[in-house]
Amino acid sequence: MLSLFETMIEATIRLSVPIILMAIGNQFAEKAGVMNLGAEGMMTMGSFTAVLGAYYSGSAVVGVLAGIVGGMLVATIHSLNTVEFGGNQNISGLGLNTLAAGLSAFLCRELFSSGITPSVQNLQRTEILRKIPLVGHILSRFSPLMYISIIIIIVSLLFMKKTTLGMRIVAVGDDPTAAETAGINVWNVRHLAVCVFCGICGGLAGAYLSIGQLSFFQDDLVNGKGMLAVIAVKMGKWNIGALSLVALMFGFFDALQVQIQINFPSVSPELVELIPYIVAVIALFISGENSAQPKALTQPYLKNKYKF
Amino acid sequence: MKLLSRDKLAGALTTILILFSAFVVISILLLCIGVSPLSTFGALFKGAFGSKLGLINTIQKAVPICLCALGVAVAKQAGIFNIGINGQMIIGSIASVITAVYIKGLPTAIHVPLCLIAGMLGGALYALIPTLGYLWRRLNILVLCLLMNTMAVKIETWLIYAYFKDPNALTNSTYRIQASSNLPNLVRTPARLNIGFIIALIVSAIMYIYFYKTTSGFELRAVGLNNNGAKYAGINTKKYISSSLLIGGALAGLAGAIEVLGTYYRLYVGFSPAYGFDGIPISLLSGNNPIGIIIGSIVFGALRVGSSTMQVKVGVSSELVDVIQGVLICFIALEYLFKFASNKLLGKIHHKEAANVKSI
Repeated sequence: MLSLFETMIEATIRLSVPIILMAIGNQFAEKAGVMNLGAEGMMTMGSFTAVLGAYYSGSAVVGVLAGIVGGMLVATIHSLNTVEFGGNQNISGLGLNTLAAGLSAFLCRELFSSGITPSVQNLQRTEILRKIPLVGHILSRFSPLMYISIIIIIVSLLFMKKTTLGMRIVAVGDDPTAAETAGINVWNVRHLAVCVFCGICGGLAGAYLSIGQLSFFQDDLVNGKGMLAVIAVKMGKWNIGALSLVALMFGFFDALQVQIQINFPSVSPELVELIPYIVAVIALFISGENSAQPKALTQPYLKNKYKF
Repeated sequence: MKLLSRDKLAGALTTILILFSAFVVISILLLCIGVSPLSTFGALFKGAFGSKLGLINTIQKAVPICLCALGVAVAKQAGIFNIGINGQMIIGSIASVITAVYIKGLPTAIHVPLCLIAGMLGGALYALIPTLGYLWRRLNILVLCLLMNTMAVKIETWLIYAYFKDPNALTNSTYRIQASSNLPNLVRTPARLNIGFIIALIVSAIMYIYFYKTTSGFELRAVGLNNNGAKYAGINTKKYISSSLLIGGALAGLAGAIEVLGTYYRLYVGFSPAYGFDGIPISLLSGNNPIGIIIGSIVFGALRVGSSTMQVKVGVSSELVDVIQGVLICFIALEYLFKFASNKLLGKIHHKEAANVKSI
């Protein structure tokens, strides 16, 4: 029998993984100057294609790869819209949310004639870690994707701080004109940040939701987690460590809500679910206008051939 | 050519190009799954406009969408992107349903307007939070609105479960509203058409006059077109931005109130039709013009009504409508590119004309 404390920690980590992954992906896009409201869409598409991949190949690993491809697919549309053709980033993101939700629900019904896919191979546990003495039985309870996300946090921290490409992403998001003068291809860097980095993170986050936590896909699986990731980036002030903590906070309140529902049926769980949002609003009010925000965020950088 | 200015012509061409591109993409998708796009769109159209029942349902569905789109448009005229319409609508419907259920013994002529006003106040009050965030702290309205959309659904669920649940109802919902607060119906058979339709038309007319015939509306549009320019011209930009957000919230609340008082007569848990999100593409496609918004909202209402017919007749699941909307919004995001393309097209025609004139 687990103590309440242990259960809470475990559930918090479990529930915050997708938010952390997506928030890191979003941080890449936003640092490069592309607002990504399509986070929800990337996760939805990723979770759907992950199940598709696992269903048709019979292997969960292929499923995860398919999830990444799904996330990148949506991210590609976003970067084509916003980076290549200088479209409105907010509207494109919202459109992709609707599109991904509609497309996955539509294809799900066309392929499986129901709103829910059959069960597939999942990655809920990491059995290899069971052999480790003392902590093995705890560590093996998490999905391998959780460990991958820890690696992603560390790698992206180092990547943004220590590598040339990381610096270039920041430069492109702060002042694209200056970056271009310095010889950086603004569009390629932005494409890379949105399409590859953000897409991979979004796809992984989606895959975690569908085959890392469950073993199927259904409508509304993402259920606002993408938006929480967008907000986590703002609240974490584009700092990977801070935004991971904010995402953990969201995960903690989600876990708390589940526990309250089990242990105190008289308290309405919605009220507990509201807490992280209220905290977020108050935190936004207190922190005020964000000077850490990339200067060129939401501003398209047009190619010369598309100028009037 | 002379009747229309080139800007207007380019604008119309842009809209046509966007609609056509979306149509092509959806057709390709339908061909991929082996369905004829023509029969699918035919079934959609027939379901929405083919019968009296379909037509009435379409108009009825268009009413809240139209009001939400107007709410988006007011803010957009001031250069603000209000995507919190959905949340404001939900809060508005809560306020209106509470007024409708718990205030008793009023005649319809007083009770209905009271509930509508309650809905508007609820929506405006909910829009006040992002407005204050903008005024006091210069917060990103977009992010606040997104937060508050999700919050609104949770607030609604919480309030219904905790305080207003009708224990005898089959679904989780509030008590049925008082008979005196039901919106009067204009048509009863084959489907109900309530006066929400007239309210939406009146509001659209008022908004049209406000946008294009009053000084205040002119200043509002000036703020949206060039915030700094308007500021230097002595316009109080903050006032216009905040009031347009509040008006948008009130309109969204009105939409929610009409939906509850005229269609459902109760507030269900999970009542969050995405009318607010429908309003965004409509307002953008129509260039925030109320006349265009009326047409656009009828089209979007038709999509929703026709989708069930389509599902039965062609066997394409009704989720296709979401895909259509998503594709459409993505193309609207590319408006700049389409504008560029249509200007190029028109430019060529223009050059030819000029050449003709010279040769004569």
